[in-house]
Amino acid sequence: MRFLKSIDWVLLAILCALAVVGMVTLFAAVHQGDTGLWQKQGIFWGVGMLVFMALCFMPLRLLGLACWPMYGVALLLVLLVPLIGDVHMGARRWLDLGVMNLQPSEIMKWALMFILAHWFSSREARGWVEILTALLLTVLPASLIIMQPDLGTTLVLLFAASAMIIAAGLPWRLLGLAMVAGLASLPLLWHFMHDYQKQRVLTLLDPQSDPLGAGYHVIQSTIAIGSGGLLGKGFLHGTQDRLHFLPEQHTDFIFSVLAEEGGFIAVALLLFLYAALILRILWIGHKAYSRFASLLCIGIASIFMLYITVNIGMVSGIFPVVGLPLPFISYGGSALVTMLAASGLVMRIAIESKGQIPWQRPGSPLA
Amino acid sequence: MRNKQLEKRSRFDLRMLVFYVAVPLFMGLLLLQVLKLQWFEHDRYMLQAEQNRLNIVPTLPVRGEVIDAEGRGLAVNRIAYHVQLIPERVTRMDYTLHALANILHWSDVKLASVRKRIEHTRADRPVLLDDKLQWEQVSPLAARLHHFPGVDVESGSYRQYPYGALASHVIGYLSLARKGDLDAGYFPSEFVGRTGVEKAFEQQLHGVAGYQQEEVDAVGRRVAVLKRAPSKMGQTLQLALDIDIQQAASDALGDRTGAVVVLDVHTGAIIALLSKPGYDTNRFITGLESDQWNAWLNDPEKPLLNRAMQAAYPPASTFKLVTGFAGLEHHARLATGSTFCPGFVELADRKLRCWKHSGHGKISMHQALVESCDVFFYELGDELGMSAISDAAQEWGLGEKTGIELSPESRGSVPSQSPYMMSAIKNNASKRKRWFRGETMITAIGQGTLTTTPLQIARLAAAIANGGKVLKPQLLAGAQAEVMHQVDVSAEQLNVIRKAMRSVVSDPHGTAHRVLANSPWDVAGKTGTAQVIKMSQDRKKIISQAQQEREYRDHAWFMGYAPYKNPKIAIAVLVEHGGHGGSAAGPVAAAVIRAMAAKDHLVTTGREP
Repeated sequence: MRFLKSIDWVLLAILCALAVVGMVTLFAAVHQGDTGLWQKQGIFWGVGMLVFMALCFMPLRLLGLACWPMYGVALLLVLLVPLIGDVHMGARRWLDLGVMNLQPSEIMKWALMFILAHWFSSREARGWVEILTALLLTVLPASLIIMQPDLGTTLVLLFAASAMIIAAGLPWRLLGLAMVAGLASLPLLWHFMHDYQKQRVLTLLDPQSDPLGAGYHVIQSTIAIGSGGLLGKGFLHGTQDRLHFLPEQHTDFIFSVLAEEGGFIAVALLLFLYAALILRILWIGHKAYSRFASLLCIGIASIFMLYITVNIGMVSGIFPVVGLPLPFISYGGSALVTMLAASGLVMRIAIESKGQIPWQRPGSPLA
Repeated sequence: MRNKQLEKRSRFDLRMLVFYVAVPLFMGLLLLQVLKLQWFEHDRYMLQAEQNRLNIVPTLPVRGEVIDAEGRGLAVNRIAYHVQLIPERVTRMDYTLHALANILHWSDVKLASVRKRIEHTRADRPVLLDDKLQWEQVSPLAARLHHFPGVDVESGSYRQYPYGALASHVIGYLSLARKGDLDAGYFPSEFVGRTGVEKAFEQQLHGVAGYQQEEVDAVGRRVAVLKRAPSKMGQTLQLALDIDIQQAASDALGDRTGAVVVLDVHTGAIIALLSKPGYDTNRFITGLESDQWNAWLNDPEKPLLNRAMQAAYPPASTFKLVTGFAGLEHHARLATGSTFCPGFVELADRKLRCWKHSGHGKISMHQALVESCDVFFYELGDELGMSAISDAAQEWGLGEKTGIELSPESRGSVPSQSPYMMSAIKNNASKRKRWFRGETMITAIGQGTLTTTPLQIARLAAAIANGGKVLKPQLLAGAQAEVMHQVDVSAEQLNVIRKAMRSVVSDPHGTAHRVLANSPWDVAGKTGTAQVIKMSQDRKKIISQAQQEREYRDHAWFMGYAPYKNPKIAIAVLVEHGGHGGSAAGPVAAAVIRAMAAKDHLVTTGREP
C-alpha cells in the first residue's frame, strides 16, 4: 500500500495517454500495409511496461554503483565499431553480437547521462577540473560517434550533457562563452560534415531545389501536415499517408500521419502531452531527494525534449532530416523500450523521493 | 556550511526555472510551425495533396462515321488490337519477349526495338509492343495470355475508308494531333481531320472526350476510380454523295486525269465529287511513310489536288452560255440576229480563228451554241464589251468561291477592266483599246485569263436548270437549299439558252449529239474544249515526246443537266488533256446520267414524247 501511495500517478497517466495516441496513430500509418507492425508495437509496449515496472523496484543506489563500469564498457564498444562494425545504409553503427545487433551509441547515450549525474552528484560545475572532466567524458564518445557517422545520437549526447552541466551550476558567463564558441565553430562543423549531411541542410533551406531527391521527404511531409488543416482529414482518411506519398510513415515521419488525419487539434494534444511529460519529469527531478536523482531526471527530460524537437522540426521543415524517432509514437521496439525504461527510472526516483525533503533544503538528510 | 548549501540549492532552483520556461518555449515554437502549415498555408498544401493523389485520364471519344446517301460507310471505325506490357509485372522478360516474337512474327529488328523501348520506360508504365493487329493475329496470344503475366491484349478503334481513293478528296484523311492541335485541347493520341469532310466537319465528327478521375499512389499506380465522365461519340454524317454515281464517274474517266461534279439542281446537294487520280486515304491511318507522301507530292499527276474545286481551268465553250445570257440581257443586236462565220475574225494585226476553219456560214445564236461557233461569240463579245461579260460571269457565280465546306477552294478568275490591267499599257491609248478588244473577244468564248473550277461550272448548269438560282453546294444529305444569289433573268431568256443546250444533244449537228442522244434521260448541255497554255521550255526538256503530245492536247469539258423537262441533276465533267469536249467528256457525263437514271424509278417522266 505504501508503494502504491508513493507512485507518481500523473506520470503514469501521461504515459498511458501517450500509449493510446501512439497506438492509434501507428494504426493509421500501417493499416493499409503491414498491420503486423501494429501488433508488434503492442507487444513492445507490454515488454516496455514490464521493464518500467521492474525499474520501479530497483534501488537507485545500484545504478550509482554501475555508473563507471557501464561507461567504460560503452566507450569500449563505441571504439570497437569502426574496427569490426557492420556497415548498414552507408554508416558503420552496428556491432554483430551473434544473437542480436547492438548499437553501442544507444548504450553510450545512457551511460554518459549516468556518469555525468554521478560526477556532479557531489560537486558543482563551477571549477575548471569539474567542467573539463565533464567535457572530456562527453566529447570522447561524441567525437567517435559522429565519425560513424551518427549525427542524431551525437546531438543527443551534446544536448543532454549541456543540460546537465547547466543544471549542475555552470556559471552563466561560461555558458555564454560556450554558445559563442559553438556558433563560431559551425563553419568548421560544415567542413567536417558528410556530403549527404550537407545536402540535407541545403535541402532544408530550399526543398524545391531537389523535389524528388533529398527534398522529397520534407516536401511530402509538409504537404501532409499542411493539408491536414485545423481539424484533420479524419482517422484513416489521410491521402498522403494512405497512398504512400509519405516516406517512412510509421517510423521517423509518423508525426505527419497524425497531423494529416488529426489536424492541429491532434498536434496540440500531442504537444500538450509531451510538455506535461517533460515538465513532470523536471518537477520530479526538482523535488528529488538526491542531486544524482535530480540530474538523472534532467538528462532524461532533455533527451525526450531533443527527440521531440528534432523529429517534429524535421518533419515540419524547420530542421534538416536527422533520423530521430518521435518518442512513444514512432514504430520501433528498442527505442520504445529504452524510453519506457528511462520513464521507469524517473518513476523510481519519484517513489524514493516520496515524503523526503529535496536535497540541500533545510532538513534534507543529504548534503 | 549551511549558507553554502542554501546557495547551491537556490542556484539549482534558478536553473530549474530556466528549464521550466524553456520547455513551453520549445513546444510553442513547434506548435507555431505546425500552425503556420495547417492554417496559413493550408490551402496551398491541400491543393498539392490533391494534385498528388489525383490523375485525370482522358477517355477518347469514338469518331463519328461518314456514310453516303444510301448509308454505305465512307469513313468507318474498325476494331484493332494492340499488345502492351508492364515491365514490372513481367516475371521472365527474356522468355516473354521471345515467345511474343514467335507468336506475333516479329523480325529481329522489331524485337530489338521493343527491348530498347522497355529499357527506356518506367517499369510501372505500359509499353506498347505492337498495334493495328487483327483478331486472327492476336488470338493465339490471347489464348495463352496466362503464361505471360504483365502482357495485355487490348482493343481500340481505327479509321478505315472502305472506298479509299474513290472518295479521297471528299472524305479526306486524319493524322495524329500536332503541337497546334494540342494547344487547342486535343490529346496526343487523338486523330484530327486534315482535309475533306474529315476536316470540314471535325467538330461534329470528333465527339466529346470524357475523362476518368483516378486516385493514384506515390508511384503513380491507379488505386481507385473516383469519377467517370463518359466520352460522347461524334455524330454520324450522312452525305448527299452517292458512291455508285461516284464509281460510275470514276469508271468512265478510267485512268485519265480529271474531275466530275454532280449536283442536285434544286438543293445544290453534291451527288458526286470526283477528282482523278485519287490517293488511298487508308495509308494515312497506319502512319504514312514519308516516301509515300513525297511520291504523292511530287507526282506530276498531282493526286493530292482536288481538281473539282482546287484547280481552275479555262471554261472554254461552256462559257458561251454566259456570254449568251449577257447578250440577251443587254438586248444585243446579235442575240436576236445572226452573223456570217467565215472561219475567222480579223482584228488589226491579229486573226482570231473559229474551231471550224471552214466556217459556219450564216449563223444565229441558237445554232452558234449548238455548233459552238467561235466567230459568233467573238462578235457578240465585241458588241457587249468586257464589263458586260464579266458582270454576267460574276452573276452566274464564276470568279467566287461556291461556299462548299471543303477547303481550300479556288475562286477561279474573271477578268475585268481593272486598274492593274489598265496601267500595264497606259501610255498607248490605241494599243490599249486594241488589246482590250482582243482580250474581250477571247473571254467571250471562255479562253484567255478566264478560269473556272468544275464545281463552279456544275453550279452554273444547275442555275440554268433551276431558273437562275446560284446555289451553295451541299455536302450533307437533307441540307436545305441555300441560294447564294438569284440571277436576274427572265423565263424567255432562260428558254432560249435551255433550248440551245437541248439542241446541243438532240440536234444532229450538236457537239454532244453523238454521245448523249441515246441517254435514258433527255440531256441539255454544252461541250467545251479548252486550249492549253503553252508549257515552259524547262518542262519540255524533262518530259517524253508522248507526254508532250498529251500535254499539248486540249482540256475537254462537258456541262449540262437532265432530265431536260424536269431537271434533277446538273453535271460538270473535265478531262485534262482529253481532247475534244464532246468526244472526251461527253461519254463520262453519259455514264453518270445512265447510272443516275438506273437508280431513278421515274426514269421515263423526263423523256420528251
